[in-house]
Amino acid sequence: MFIRIERGSSSPVSRQIAEQIRAQCLSGALRPGESLPSVRQLARELAVNVNTVFRVYEQMAADKFIEMRHGDGTYVLPRAAPRENSRQMAAQREQYELEFNAIVHRGMLLGLQLPEFRRLLAAAVAAERRGTGEASPLRATKSRAVPSSDNTP
Amino acid sequence: MSQAAISVRNIRKAFGQQTVLNDVSLEIPAGETFALLGRNGAGKTTLIRILLGLLEPDVGSVSVAGLDPQSKPIELRRRVGYLAEDQVMYEWMTPVELCRFLAPFYPTWDHKLADDYLDRFEIPRHARIGRLSKGQRVKLGLTVALAHRPQVAILDDPALGLDPIARKEFNRDLVEHIQAARGTVLYSSHLLDEVEAVADSVAILDSGRIVRFAATDVLRAEVKQIILDYNAAADLPLPAGLLDVRRSGSRLLAVVDGAEKFIDQLVVSGVEHEVVELNLHEIFEAFVIGRPQEWPQHGARVVLAQK
Repeated sequence: MFIRIERGSSSPVSRQIAEQIRAQCLSGALRPGESLPSVRQLARELAVNVNTVFRVYEQMAADKFIEMRHGDGTYVLPRAAPRENSRQMAAQREQYELEFNAIVHRGMLLGLQLPEFRRLLAAAVAAERRGTGEASPLRATKSRAVPSSDNTP
Repeated sequence: MSQAAISVRNIRKAFGQQTVLNDVSLEIPAGETFALLGRNGAGKTTLIRILLGLLEPDVGSVSVAGLDPQSKPIELRRRVGYLAEDQVMYEWMTPVELCRFLAPFYPTWDHKLADDYLDRFEIPRHARIGRLSKGQRVKLGLTVALAHRPQVAILDDPALGLDPIARKEFNRDLVEHIQAARGTVLYSSHLLDEVEAVADSVAILDSGRIVRFAATDVLRAEVKQIILDYNAAADLPLPAGLLDVRRSGSRLLAVVDGAEKFIDQLVVSGVEHEVVELNLHEIFEAFVIGRPQEWPQHGARVVLAQK
């Protein structure tokens, strides 16, 4: 497994490691059943905090990319499970988009303009967040990082 | 749960008229790696010298590895490894002689470990210390600070004077030997990119005060830059936790501590915005030289509300 950390990047070290392992699992560069270096080994190799690597492994295990077998080691899991999930997710999103378009269409028939749509949407999202707390998938999409700019235009 | 390896409560220290540390408190759990960040003159070295009992605070209490540095200085030195900023060593000794000389002071001295370090750092064993280069002396200082496998290592800018390769080696050793053995490390540094990868938590010390103390990943999650329209910002109240404001044409670039709250506020009021993640360097800069007073204001109403 090859991982390259960019120090000083606007993407946190933990995310860099997680994304690279995930990409290698999905591309097949890491095969199911293959073993990963131990938390300590990887921490040493990358010169990265042991706890950071441990948390990444834990998260990847929770996402079913890898399995941490106690006292044995860490192994890549077969990809069937996550793939299935993402296909279901895509289908659900498609359905949602259809419903969303229908709602917009009705609004336009009522004469609503873009600013009004925006306000409604913002208010609905805010209300939803207050109600359902942290784990809304919309939130994750919205606050996605844009490249940091030291030399801002 | 576990007892704090280093605990500092409401410390104040002044030299004459000049207050160097002002109401500083820290709690570092055993097994954590902690980085003290601050510009030159922020008070880092003074704080470190207080932790070792080399200076006495005017007010407040300190405990390191469960000991009061003032009343138990000898026992403290056995449990703590220390590298000073400008470590002075007997120049007429050789590195091997220095290790032999120091070992009897420490019941837990590990000759093999000391030997390993001398090897890894490529320190000439039989050259007079006075003839070593600056980098070699730092590495020798690290060797003798860590060879007795201290519970707590306190390192004042250890990376200073190390070349990039040696720095990486040093970070590796920190991760491999100290973190993996659940040792506690407090170190000061200016190399923020490296601190970010290695430290569990950081504190930013500015003009004698701790302006922020947080887990490294929490700090990155909570402090972000938000870009919005300059005129739209003028209609908003001053955001809580605002650290820095810059104007770029018609856009406003604001660094906010507690960004989520501000983003929610923007969403509620329907203000378009962009969220930018910052690296530790940019976060540090915002805390230390940020200028929140540049927030745009419409009329006197807002000015009154602020002051």
